[in-house]
Amino acid sequence: MIELQQVSKLFPNDETGQVVQALQDIDLSIGENEFVCLLGPSGCGKSTLLNLVAGFERPTSGRVIFDGEHVRQPGPDRGVVFQEPTLFPWLTVEQNVAFGLRNLQVEASERKRIVSHFISLVGLDSFARARPHQLSGGMKQRVALARVLALDPGALLMDEPFGALDAQTRDRLQDELLRVWEIHRKTVLFVTHNVEEAVYLADRVTVLAPAPDSITADVPISIPRPRDRFSPEVREATIALLRVLANLPCCVLPSQAERPGQTVSLPGG
Amino acid sequence: MSTSPGKADFSLPPAGAAAAPVLRAARQRQSLSGALIAVASVAIPLAIWWGVAVLVTHMRGVPFPTPLDTYRRLVALLQGKLLVDFTIYRHLGDSLRRWAIGFSLAVGLGIVSGLLFGWSRLLERLSMPAVTVLQLIPGLAWIPVGILLFGISERTTVFMIAATALAPIVINTTAGVKGVSELLLRAAKMMGADGRTLFLRVLLPGSLPHLLSGIRVGFANGWRVLVAGEMVVGTATGLGYSMIQARWNLDYAGAFVCIAIICIIGLIVERGLLLPLERRTIDRWGLARTT
Repeated sequence: MIELQQVSKLFPNDETGQVVQALQDIDLSIGENEFVCLLGPSGCGKSTLLNLVAGFERPTSGRVIFDGEHVRQPGPDRGVVFQEPTLFPWLTVEQNVAFGLRNLQVEASERKRIVSHFISLVGLDSFARARPHQLSGGMKQRVALARVLALDPGALLMDEPFGALDAQTRDRLQDELLRVWEIHRKTVLFVTHNVEEAVYLADRVTVLAPAPDSITADVPISIPRPRDRFSPEVREATIALLRVLANLPCCVLPSQAERPGQTVSLPGG
Repeated sequence: MSTSPGKADFSLPPAGAAAAPVLRAARQRQSLSGALIAVASVAIPLAIWWGVAVLVTHMRGVPFPTPLDTYRRLVALLQGKLLVDFTIYRHLGDSLRRWAIGFSLAVGLGIVSGLLFGWSRLLERLSMPAVTVLQLIPGLAWIPVGILLFGISERTTVFMIAATALAPIVINTTAGVKGVSELLLRAAKMMGADGRTLFLRVLLPGSLPHLLSGIRVGFANGWRVLVAGEMVVGTATGLGYSMIQARWNLDYAGAFVCIAIICIIGLIVERGLLLPLERRTIDRWGLARTT
């Protein structure tokens, strides 16, 4: 479904004139309806990788293939949930969810049906007419999820979608994501730096290290669903992954970690 | 939940109940003083005007109209007395029409170019210096340009209004478009938005708060220059024209009526229409105020 072949991404830094290597020679393959978590420390190129699949950026070299075709631009077949909700503040919840459907020229009555289905799927029926600023962070992310699910994309690309939420809300939303995913099966690429989250959600956890190490581990999580986040199996798998991460070099200086893309600078890398 | 009752009860209701009358009294005092200030803000300038009128009339022996004179003349004009050959309604209507045409041109052109300049860095770099200069040109400086382009006609006035209202609208719309988050654009593209959708459904609403403040400034510019334009370009009707003509008939009260109407209409449009529109947009979207 998603296929990365020898993908590298360089970012020129205009200020210093240096070139920053975000990704180097990444090979990754994600099967249909597979739930893959991309795990790694902050600023090691996880978001860059997701942006390449989403089509927001083009690889410097290598190929990104989705559903048998080269990724050239963003599109509704790859629904993205960002870390920030990025809802349109001037539209109501309903209108936000309907935005993509209008672009796809879905007929009005059908659009209405789809919108209300997905709004109630994420439990926001009573907020359909609210505007984003009236919602909590967790509710906004639910809307962000509903609006891409409404487009029935082949894949969901989620870029630390729950990273900015408090722990309790995050757990709730993880459960809801899994519940929704059981109903509407999709290929999911889920970027996170939270090991427990990765283990709880994923069929497979891929650990990304700073370039040039690229993918250092690819661990199937075979714990049967529905999972119990407090079970010994989940804890065991979490610890195993934490050990893998502990051996990775720390990606960047803290000041650089804030700036996406400006990840690792390697002499002669 | 079994928290110990002694700790859980912070006796908030009694405190709140006791505070309520105090708060109410404070609020009443506040609204009273607010009303007093509002009245004073009108009464004090009127009193100064009156004082100056009386003083000037006595010292210089010229009939400087007092607020009362002006009010009486206004009533007479509203009842249909002619001012410089026409009724006040005709003058007002003509002025409003000229303003509406010029201002609409400026709004239309300003929004379209602002969207384009905000969208394309190249266009912005090519055009912004000119727009900045445009903003610095005083309204009256357009008179020779307008007369050369359109002759002594109403179109010159319309041109002057459009020319002075344009720059702030362009500048603010451009800033508004540039302020639309890159992530919102990505989200829109991810949901299949084409170029037209991006413009109309993302960039335009996204820049609306800025755009509205640009329109407010543009309105004030255009309204001011309308009067000046009518004064200089002999349009035979209009508030500005009759203001300047009234003095030949020594109808200074008539001229003052024109000034008053200009102020009142400006105030109504700015405070009654544009500012509430801007506030409402900002509040409804939950955006932080930009100014």
